[in-house]
Amino acid sequence: MTTLATPPGGAAEGAGGGDGEPDDPGEDGDAAGSPSSAGGGRSGYGGYGRFVGGKVLGSLGSLLFVLVVNFFLFRVLPGDPARTLGRGRFRTEEQLNAFRSQYGLDQPLFTQFFTYLKNTAQGDLGVSLRYRVPVSDLILDRLGTTLLIVGTSTVLATTLGVYLGVVSAWNRRSLVDRATTSSTLTLYSMPEWWLGLIFIATVGVGMGFFPGVFPTGGLHSTDVAPGFVNGVLDTAWHLVLPVLTLTLAYLAEYALVMRSSLLDEMGEDYLVTARAKGLRDVDVRRRHAVRNAILPTTTLAAINIGFVVSGAITVEYVFSVPGLGLLAQEALSIPDYWVLQGTFLVASAAVIVANLATNLLYGALDPRVRT
Amino acid sequence: MRVAAATALTALLVPVLALGAGTDLGLPAAVAAESDKVTFTVGLTNEADSFNPFGGIEAPAFEAWGLMYDQLISYDMKDMSPKPGLADSWETSDDGLTWTFDLHPGVMWSDGEPLTARDVASTFNRIADGGYEANTWGSYLTSVKTVEAVDDVTVKMLLKKPNAVLPLLPIPILPEHIWGDIDDKEVKTYPNEPSDSQPVVGSGAFRFVEGTAGGSIYRFEANPDYWKGAPHIDEVVFRVFKNDDSAAQALTKGEIDLVYNINALQVKALEGQDGITAHNGVSPGFSEIAFNVGATDTETGEPLGDGNPVLQDPAFRHALGYAVDLDQIVAKAFQGAAEPGDTIVPSTYSNWKWDPPADQAFTFDLDKAGQLLDEAGYSLGSDGRRTMPDGSPIGTLRLMARSESKSSLTTMQFFAEWLDQIGIDSQVTSVESGKLTGLIIDGEYDAFEWGWYVEPDPDSMLSYLTCGQLGNWNDAWWCDKEYDALYQEQNSALSVEDRYTPVKRMQEIFFEQSPYLVTVYESIGEAVRSDRWACLQEQPDPGGTWVVQYGITSYLQVRPIEDAGDCDGVTTALNAGAAAGSGDQATAAGASDDSGSMPLVLGGVVLAVLVIGAGVVLTRRRATASDRE
Amino acid sequence: MSAPASSPETAGSDAAGPVLTARQIVHRRRLDGLGRGWREFRGNTPGVLGLVVLSVFALIAVFAPLLADPEGLKVTQAPGGVLEAPSSQFWLGTDENGRSVVTLLIFGSRISLFVGLLATTISIVIGTLVGLTSGFFEGWPARVLFRMTEWFLVVPFLPLALVLATVLGRSLWNISLVIGITSWSGTALLIRSQTLSIKERPYLERARALGAGRWHQMTRHVLPNVMPMVFANTTLMVAVAILAETTLSFLGLGDPTRVSWGSMLDGAFSVGAMTTRSWWYIIPPGVCVVFVVLSFTLIGQALEEIVNPRLRTRR
Repeated sequence: MTTLATPPGGAAEGAGGGDGEPDDPGEDGDAAGSPSSAGGGRSGYGGYGRFVGGKVLGSLGSLLFVLVVNFFLFRVLPGDPARTLGRGRFRTEEQLNAFRSQYGLDQPLFTQFFTYLKNTAQGDLGVSLRYRVPVSDLILDRLGTTLLIVGTSTVLATTLGVYLGVVSAWNRRSLVDRATTSSTLTLYSMPEWWLGLIFIATVGVGMGFFPGVFPTGGLHSTDVAPGFVNGVLDTAWHLVLPVLTLTLAYLAEYALVMRSSLLDEMGEDYLVTARAKGLRDVDVRRRHAVRNAILPTTTLAAINIGFVVSGAITVEYVFSVPGLGLLAQEALSIPDYWVLQGTFLVASAAVIVANLATNLLYGALDPRVRT
Repeated sequence: MRVAAATALTALLVPVLALGAGTDLGLPAAVAAESDKVTFTVGLTNEADSFNPFGGIEAPAFEAWGLMYDQLISYDMKDMSPKPGLADSWETSDDGLTWTFDLHPGVMWSDGEPLTARDVASTFNRIADGGYEANTWGSYLTSVKTVEAVDDVTVKMLLKKPNAVLPLLPIPILPEHIWGDIDDKEVKTYPNEPSDSQPVVGSGAFRFVEGTAGGSIYRFEANPDYWKGAPHIDEVVFRVFKNDDSAAQALTKGEIDLVYNINALQVKALEGQDGITAHNGVSPGFSEIAFNVGATDTETGEPLGDGNPVLQDPAFRHALGYAVDLDQIVAKAFQGAAEPGDTIVPSTYSNWKWDPPADQAFTFDLDKAGQLLDEAGYSLGSDGRRTMPDGSPIGTLRLMARSESKSSLTTMQFFAEWLDQIGIDSQVTSVESGKLTGLIIDGEYDAFEWGWYVEPDPDSMLSYLTCGQLGNWNDAWWCDKEYDALYQEQNSALSVEDRYTPVKRMQEIFFEQSPYLVTVYESIGEAVRSDRWACLQEQPDPGGTWVVQYGITSYLQVRPIEDAGDCDGVTTALNAGAAAGSGDQATAAGASDDSGSMPLVLGGVVLAVLVIGAGVVLTRRRATASDRE
Repeated sequence: MSAPASSPETAGSDAAGPVLTARQIVHRRRLDGLGRGWREFRGNTPGVLGLVVLSVFALIAVFAPLLADPEGLKVTQAPGGVLEAPSSQFWLGTDENGRSVVTLLIFGSRISLFVGLLATTISIVIGTLVGLTSGFFEGWPARVLFRMTEWFLVVPFLPLALVLATVLGRSLWNISLVIGITSWSGTALLIRSQTLSIKERPYLERARALGAGRWHQMTRHVLPNVMPMVFANTTLMVAVAILAETTLSFLGLGDPTRVSWGSMLDGAFSVGAMTTRSWWYIIPPGVCVVFVVLSFTLIGQALEEIVNPRLRTRR
C-alpha cells in the first residue's frame, strides 16, 4: 500500500512533475522539466551550496515536525497501558499508579513531552512498556528482518521492473508488451497480502495438484543442522515466498513508470534524429532513451528505499515474519507509546533522508531543479 | 543505473542475508556439536514479553520461567491443588500467622552454587517489599511481613494477618548471588537473557540458551542433573507465529511438534489429518455479558456516566438471563469449543464452584423472561416494546463488543436479537478493548462482552467484584455488602475447607443479582504430532491443555513415541502404552528428515540464482562500460 | 465533473449582455469537449473494458437487495453450516458462521464502492484545497500547509492509517475519513505545482493587472485549469482507496458490523481458511477486489490520456 500511495506525490516532488503541463506540451520539451525552470538557470557552486542548505534545512524542519506530531498523535490513542498490561495482574489502584509513575505516565503531558524531546535528542528512544527493553534495541532487532525482506524485494523489484518496462516500451504493442502491461496492471490492482495468501495456499500448504514445498511462515526452521551455511540456506528458503510476493507487488509500479517515461522519451525529436543518423537501435536505446527515461524510476526507487524501514505490515502478518511493521502495529493496542514513537520516528526519518538524498542528487545532476 | 542496481544487489542482498541468518543462527551453530538432538518444538502465537520474572505478563513468559526456575509449590495435574515443589512439606501455625517451608535438600543452580533458603527469602522479600517487583507477584504475598531463612533448607514466613491463598506460590525462585547485584532501578529493564552463549542461571529442568524478549525463537536445553530427574528430551524450542494459521500449517508440515492456541475450526481440520491429535483444552476462565449496574464517582458518590437506569434493577438483569441461548452461543460464537457457563467460577474448579439448582438455573425461555419482566413492572407497551414501570420508554441499550474478538461480536449480535424478541431495543457497537476500558471507567455503556481468567484459587477473581474495586476492576459497578463480608470471611479463613461455603454463597448472590450474565467457559485449541511424541499430559486431567499449565509436568514427561512405554505409569498421558517403534513412526520420521534437507537444497538454488543473476548484471555492466570507451 | 467548479453563477457581477453570449459559448465549447472526450474514450479499449466491468459491479451494488436476501447477512439467521463447500444451494460455499459467500460478496460490493468513493471525495477535496492554497498564496500559512503535506508524505501510509483508525473507532464513515486523510498529500502536491505554474502565466498576470481579486483568480482561472487533472486523478484514487479499505478491513479495522470484501478475507484468514482448505472463502473476495480496482485504474488511465493528450504516446 505504501508504494501505491506514494508515486503521484513522490514523483511529482522529486522530478519536478514529470507528468505536468497538460495545456502547453510545446513549452518545455524535457520530461523532467520543472514548472519554474524557465526563471532558473542559476548554476555554479554557490547556487548549489544555497540549494543544499535550503534542502537540508527543509528536511530538518520536517524532522522536527515529525518529532512533535509523533508525541501528540499517540497520546490520543484510546486505552491506558497500565490497565491493558495490568488486567488480572495489578489488583489495586496503588499498583496501577505505581506502574504509571514508573514510566512517567502520571506526569503532566507537557512535562512528558519535554522529557521525550530531551531523551530523543540524546538518542534515547525510551523503554518499551510491553517488552521492558530499550526501544532502540527492539528496533535494531527487527530492522535486520525488515531489511532482509523488504530491502531484497525493493532491489529485485526495481531491477526486474525497469527491465520489464524497457522491454515492453521498446516492443510497444507487441504481444510481449500486451502481456507485460496487462499482468503488471493486474498485480498493481491486487492487495499484496492476498497474493501472499494465494501463494501460501498453493505452494505453501499444498492445494490440489500444487505441492506444498515452501515454508508457510517464519524466517528460520528450528531443527536446521548447525552451521553458518545451513543457516543462510534455511533463511533463504524461508524468504522465497514473502520476497516473491513483495517483489511482484512492487515491480508493477516500476515497470509501468519505466514504460511510460521511456515511451515519452522515444517520442522526442533527438531520438528520431539519432536514429536517422543511422545509429543502431540498440545503441539509441542504451545511450539515450533509457538513460534519460530512468530518472523518474530512480526517484521512485529512492523514495521507496526510504519506505523500506517502515516494513510491510500485511506481508509480515500473513507470512508470520517479525518485522518493524508488525512491531508498530502490535504496539497500538496497548498503546506502547515509546515503541510507536520510535518506529514512526525511524521510519519517517528514513524517508526524509531518502528524499533529501534524491533532491541533492538531482540538484547536482540537473541545475534546473534548483529552485 | 545498472551500476547502482548491480552494486546494490550484491552489496546489500548477500551480506544482509548472511547477517540475518548469522545473528539468529550463529549461536546454535556454536553451541550445538551434535545434530541428532531430540527437540520438542512448540508453536505459540504470542511473544514472551520479558524473561525477567518481575517484568513479563504474557503466557509464554510464564512458560519460560517455569522451565528455567523452580517454585516452592507445584500444582496437581488432576485438580491443580497444591503439591510439593521445591518445598517438600510445609506447615502453618494455629493462628495462621507463621508458615514454615522445608526445602528439598541438595538442589543446585546451573552455575554450581547450591540453592538455599536464602534464595527463597530474598526473592520473596523483594516482592513483599512492594515496588516494581510486586507488580506481577504482589497479590500472592499480601499481608506478608517478612520471610526469613532459618537454615539452608528452612524458610519461615511471617504474616500480619492470615492469608487464605497460601500455600499457592507460583513464584519462580531466583538465585540471590545473581539477582542480589541487580538494584531496584536496574531490575526494571534487566533482560535476564542468555549472553555470550552463557545460559541464564537457573535451577529448573531446562536452561534458557537462546532467545530474546519480543523475538520469535526461544531455545531451552535440558538440565541433565535436574533434581526431579532429567527430562526425556534434549531441547524445548518455542517458535512464535504472527498468526495462528501459519502455526497450524507448520504443524501439518512437521516444522513444529505442537501448536497452542488455535481456533475451533482449525482443531476440527487438524483432527482429521494423519499423525495429528487435536483437542480443545479447558481454559480456566469465563466469558460474560456485563451490565452497567450504576456507575458512581468513588470520591463524591455522585452518579457517573450515562448508563441506562433500567439495568440498576437486579430483577430486570436476572430476567435477561432467560433470554440468552447459551447452546446457540457455544455453537455459533465459539464454534463448539466452549461449554455453557453460569457462575464466575469455572467448572474446572469443582471444589469451589456453586452449581445453581435445577429450578434456579437459567434456561433459554423467552416466555419466562417476558413473564419475569412483566412481574417486575416492565410491561409491553402498545408498540410491542417494554416500558419502565412508570410507563416511560426504556430506550435503546448500547451493547459493546470487543473489536478484536469475533466471538464477542457474535455473542452480542445474538443477544440483541433475543432482546428484540422480548421487546427491548438495543444496538451493538464494536470498540477496541482499550477504548472499552475507558468507557467502563467513565460509566458510559449499558452492557459489554468480555471475560476473565480465573486462577486455581478464585480469591483474586472474587476480589475484583467487591465494593473496594469500584472504579478499578469492578467493571459492572456492582457493590453488595453481604458479598463483601463473605469475601473477607473466606480471605482470612484458616483452612481451605472453611472457605468453600462462603465462596459458594458469594457466587449464589452474584448469580441472583446478575451484574454479569456468564455465557461460557472457554477452551483453547491445541494440536500435536502424535505420530512422533508421547506422554504429554492434560491439566486438569482429563480435559485440560497439554502445555501452558500450572507447572511443567508435560515438558518433563514428553518423549519420542518410540520411548513411550507406559509413560512412567501415567496412563492418561498421550500415547501411553503405544506400541513402541511401530513401522508407521519410523517412516514418518524418515520422511521428515528428507523434507528437512530439501529446503536447504532448494534454498541453495535460490541463493545461487540470485548470486548468478547479480554476476550477470555486473559483467554486462562491465561489457557496456568497455563498449562505451 | 468540471462544471460545478466553474459554475456560471460566480460570474454574476460581470456586465450583463456580453456575458450571456460568452456563457453560451463556454457552455457549447464544454459540450463539444465532453462529446469529443467520450469519442476518444470509446476508442480506448482498456478504458471501455474497465467501464463495462465497473458498471456490472455498480449494478450489483445498487440492486444487491434484489439479488440476495439481506437477512442472509445476519449471523443469527445463517442458513448453512460452518465453512460448507460450494453446492447447488450455496454456489460459493459458506463462511464460518454459515452465511452464503455469494450473498456476502454481493453486499460487500456496496461497502467497497461506497468507501472507495467517499474516501476519494474526502481526499480530493482536502488535496485540492490544500494544493491550491499552498500554491496560490505566499507567506507562512502556505509554508505550514506545505510542511503538513510533506509530513503526510514521509509518514508510512499504513501505520498512520492504523493509528487514525484506532483513534477514531470503527465505522464506515471513519474508515473513509481515515483513507481520505492519509491519501490527499499526493493530490495536493500535484495541484500545488500546477497552480504555481499557472500563476506565472501571462493571462493571469493580465487578470491581476486588471484588478482581479484572489478569489476571482482562483475560481475563474486557476481552478478550471487544474480541474481536468484532478478528475483523472480521482479515478485512480478510487482504486487506491478501495485497496486501502480492503487492507484496513483485513487488519480488522473496518466496520465489524458490516461485510466488505476486506472483512471477508479477514474472517477467512482468522478462522484458518487455509488450514481448512476453504478456497471458496479466500479466492472470490480477492478476485472481486482485483476486478474493481483494475477497472478503475483502466478508466483512470484512459481519462488521463484524454485530459493530457501527450500521454497518448504511452499506449
